[in-house]
Amino acid sequence: MEKLSPISKIYLVLVFVILYAPIFYLIFYSFNSAGNMNDFESFTWEHYAAVFGDSRLIVILINTILVALLSGLLATIIGTFGAIGIVSVKNAKMRSVLLSLNNVLIVSPDVIIGASFLILFTFIGVKLGFASVLVSHIAFSVPIVVLMVLPKLLEMNTSLIDAARDLGATKRDVLMRVILPYIAPGIFAGFFMALTYSLDDFAVTFFVTGNGFSTLSVEIYSMARTGITLTINAISGLIFVITVLVVVGYYFVNNRSKQAKVGR
Amino acid sequence: MKQLLQATIAIVIACALLFLAASQLQVKGGKGGKDTLTVFNWGEYIDPDLIKEFEKETGIHVIYETFDSNEAMLTKIQQGGSAYDVAAPSEYTVEMMKEKDLLIPLDHSKIPNMKNIDPYFLNLAFDPDNEYSLPYFWGTVGIVYNPTMIGDDLTFESWEDLWDPSLKGKVFLVDGAREVMGMGLNSIGQSLNTKDDQILRTATDKLITLAPNVKAIIGDEITPLMINNEASVALTWSGQAADMMFENEDLTYAVPEEGSNLWFDNFVIPKTSKNIDGAHAFINFMLDAEVNAQNTDYVGYSTPNLAAMELMDPEVVEDERYYPDEETREHLEVYENLGLEWLGKYNELFLEFKMSMN
Repeated sequence: MEKLSPISKIYLVLVFVILYAPIFYLIFYSFNSAGNMNDFESFTWEHYAAVFGDSRLIVILINTILVALLSGLLATIIGTFGAIGIVSVKNAKMRSVLLSLNNVLIVSPDVIIGASFLILFTFIGVKLGFASVLVSHIAFSVPIVVLMVLPKLLEMNTSLIDAARDLGATKRDVLMRVILPYIAPGIFAGFFMALTYSLDDFAVTFFVTGNGFSTLSVEIYSMARTGITLTINAISGLIFVITVLVVVGYYFVNNRSKQAKVGR
Repeated sequence: MKQLLQATIAIVIACALLFLAASQLQVKGGKGGKDTLTVFNWGEYIDPDLIKEFEKETGIHVIYETFDSNEAMLTKIQQGGSAYDVAAPSEYTVEMMKEKDLLIPLDHSKIPNMKNIDPYFLNLAFDPDNEYSLPYFWGTVGIVYNPTMIGDDLTFESWEDLWDPSLKGKVFLVDGAREVMGMGLNSIGQSLNTKDDQILRTATDKLITLAPNVKAIIGDEITPLMINNEASVALTWSGQAADMMFENEDLTYAVPEEGSNLWFDNFVIPKTSKNIDGAHAFINFMLDAEVNAQNTDYVGYSTPNLAAMELMDPEVVEDERYYPDEETREHLEVYENLGLEWLGKYNELFLEFKMSMN
């Protein structure tokens, strides 16, 4: 790789500083004993203790992660097969119609998706709560997964499938041993995108929460009405750490599998 | 393929563990009571210890949910996807909910603690005889200001002080059509529920002359600005002012004598309720003198509960900024439901005022 010029380096550093400074600012003050974000008094864990002492908040935090993982997983499964389905459509016109339908869902505003889900759920009599949030999160994640998996499928050489067939692979074998392993990076990327979309979604979730089930984004929004307390900083800090751990974990999994491939 | 499978299994296991943890925590909170009660309240508007105490006392498990605006709450209750047993709308929303037939009449015999409430706050126009609602907290609209920044000359005993030339570009207004238009109407000695085009026009013209003094029309962001001494004068609600004054002791609050808004948040039982007895028990519990005193201390708004006020710190209760005297009270008005047509007019004139700021 070509070496970066000093200007590019400075630019890169600047971009990262701008991206990360607010987060670190927030986390820094979560250790402030003064209880506000004006000046730093002294170091304290009390805001984290407040988070862990409030079992309602912990349940909400767990719910948020649970919904993100489950909706991410299910959306990935649905989206992957959706992408395979779209690619296998022979008619080019039909295929582009399907793709456009997929993209329309990505660009539609969350508020509209949320409101329509609220109307749908109350119309068919689904109680608002865990199930409604999960279903709507899956719904807005599927198009994203499709979009992440599709390029991998398109770049795949069809002769691979032909070769597998020639060697006597059944349809199932082709899917399990040829297609899925080949598009695995796309699937993982899709899963992580779905995960982050679900974690930070407010607009859709706001409409479909109910019956004691709430997620962090919705809860923080109603907490912020009476001014931001440092408890919010503490939760944000926790979420940030969890996210970093997930990303690091993903990096190691990815690296190991690459090394394994090289070793073979 | 192996990798995909492993990842899937890992996620499923993680989900199972999280689910277990969550249900464990919820059971611990619920103390095994079969009865549940869903309470829908404003964010940070109750002392969480009191919910635990109520659960211990009655064995009813409380599911506590929050909302951030009357409109959001109304939409959720109207859609009926969730069974709320107790909600806490503001007075004009109580009126709307009544009209839409969303409320269950209160059984006063099940709420003996009603006797604790100051009769001044009962039987008001928005809900005669308190058939559907009982007051939870109340407050006023007024001016919070910082004498160390603007000097001692201005005391805001009159709305007129806002127009003082020394405040050029210093005044913050809360972004609400009723609040700002109401202030304009009060400043010319008119009712903030006026349904008279001529008077509204005069009030708007008067407001437009305030424009040079107005720095911004914003929402909750006023709180940190005032606390950090980045702003010196703001039109806001007494509860929000109390929060600011708690953080910044230089600040003080005044309700101008010409009149202002008196607002309430009220307990109601929506039609969606599945535990009407529990809802009554909860309202009665919250009106208990000791409970109410503790809650008021925690939330910091003004309580209409006379018995609770006797138990509270006399310094707070005698503070006329939070509990205005009879004379000021006489000039206070509760928002009436204006109806769509007039509300539209108020909004339009407020917009006109906003546009005149440029």
